[in-house]
Amino acid sequence: MITFDHVTKRYGERLALDSVSWHMEEGESVVFLGKSGAGKTTLLRLITHETLPTSGRIAVGTFHGSRLGRHQRALLRRTLGIIYEDFRLLDDRTVFENVALALHITGRFRDEDVVPGVLHALEEVGLRGKANAFPRELSAGEKQRAAIARAIVNRPAVILADEPTGALEEGSAAEILERLRSIHAEGAALILVTTRREVAEALPGRILELRDGALVSGDPMGRAAERTHREAPADEGARESAAAGVGHEPQAEETPPSREAPPMAGTAPPESGPGG
Amino acid sequence: MHWFYVREAMRTFRQHGGLTINAVLALTAALTFAGLFLLLAHNAQTALRLIGDRREMVVYLKDEVTEAQRDELIGRLTDLYGSVKYVSKDDAWKEFTQEVGDPQLLESVDQNPLPSSLRVRLRPELLTAAAMSAAAREVSEFPEVEDVRYGAEWVRRLDELNLGLARGALAVGLAVALALVLVVYNTIRLSVLARRQPIEIMSRLGATDAFVAQPFVIEAMFEALVAVALALGLLFASYRAVSSQLEGVVFLPWSWTLGFVGAALALAWVAAMMALARVLRAVRS
Repeated sequence: MITFDHVTKRYGERLALDSVSWHMEEGESVVFLGKSGAGKTTLLRLITHETLPTSGRIAVGTFHGSRLGRHQRALLRRTLGIIYEDFRLLDDRTVFENVALALHITGRFRDEDVVPGVLHALEEVGLRGKANAFPRELSAGEKQRAAIARAIVNRPAVILADEPTGALEEGSAAEILERLRSIHAEGAALILVTTRREVAEALPGRILELRDGALVSGDPMGRAAERTHREAPADEGARESAAAGVGHEPQAEETPPSREAPPMAGTAPPESGPGG
Repeated sequence: MHWFYVREAMRTFRQHGGLTINAVLALTAALTFAGLFLLLAHNAQTALRLIGDRREMVVYLKDEVTEAQRDELIGRLTDLYGSVKYVSKDDAWKEFTQEVGDPQLLESVDQNPLPSSLRVRLRPELLTAAAMSAAAREVSEFPEVEDVRYGAEWVRRLDELNLGLARGALAVGLAVALALVLVVYNTIRLSVLARRQPIEIMSRLGATDAFVAQPFVIEAMFEALVAVALALGLLFASYRAVSSQLEGVVFLPWSWTLGFVGAALALAWVAAMMALARVLRAVRS
């Protein structure tokens, strides 16, 4: 689904990523752990095509090639749900409008196409009661939940989270991680970057450690034998939450499209690679 | 186009109302200036058309020309230059005495010295100094003709005035078009820059250029529409004020008014597209 093949990224003289290769399959979870400046955000920006690699090859679903056209780039981003440390909500519109924007961008404007999806996403993150609130009226944790609702409303195949708990106090951080586990348990692939080991370990899936732009530990190619969930209890908890319907039980009139049919086709992993 | 884009444009108006008002005022000023010139040009053109209708060539006949020769000449002139009216010696004398007014002045004139003439009302394509001069030269070579007069200097001045107005209209039109494009271009550029953060967020959510651009295009068209409506209102008020003092002044005909509105909107659209093509590339990653 996502493949980095010897990707190097330089900003002038500074080396941000140094011949990094890794791969993930549909529905997987990968956490990139590293200190500030290790190349984590660059890696996310390369996935979203906000920046281009200096060398190497990146494939995200069916989107290949180092230089996508502007329209292709927009289409690629619609297949991703992105969550930022600073939320990136639009202050001049309500929570409902912030979430609905992601649907409008895909060309859906009719109430019957927008309202059920938005309300369901807000239900999933426990913010339905704050639909008409403006971001300035929310706590940091609520803002991040609104951002998560916006990221999942289009039922993307991959959720990208850039230090999603970085601006949150402990209680809210745990809640956000629980939400992410729950979304991943429903089938979405999850890529999270963080500086905090406890955050990385709170999530299921592989942990790949970045240092000075290079992958220094973990299983970059994620061979099936190694793909085990290290945090089984947490994962179980997420599944239980999902099964119990913690913000997941859609009402009859607001059934959202299934996340089990991701818009991106998977990409076969390369035959060989470092760390395999 | 969906109502959503209009709401997005209205959001920009609310947040950056000062920018919108400035743009509308600047556009109104430019369009009013252009409209005043259009009004002037239209009235001048109307007046010139009336004067042009009176441009005629007077062909004086030799005394020895027979009736048959005169009729043949009338036929030739009608075919070549336009409608012809015969004025006999007696008719010419009557006209002259009426113009002079005082019969005592004419008592010393013992016989009618005026020649008979043909007054040729020229076809519209011949109502230029060059064409009239050529026609006069040709007609003066006919054997039945004594002399030809057509007010050469007057016609030349009218032509110069006409040409000056056309050139002025073109220059003012170009200057105002340029001003309009610059105002809209800069307003949209500033609007986009003022909304840089939302645009970046939309871009990261997968918005296409068209999605981001449409509210700004609506903004430009709205500003141009309000400005052109205000400009037309000001022009009409000016026309009413002048027409109460000066007879014969006319307002722009519908075709000119619609052309004026259409040109303003088209220029606003072009300027907005130019600004968006340039600034969105810089803002969006």
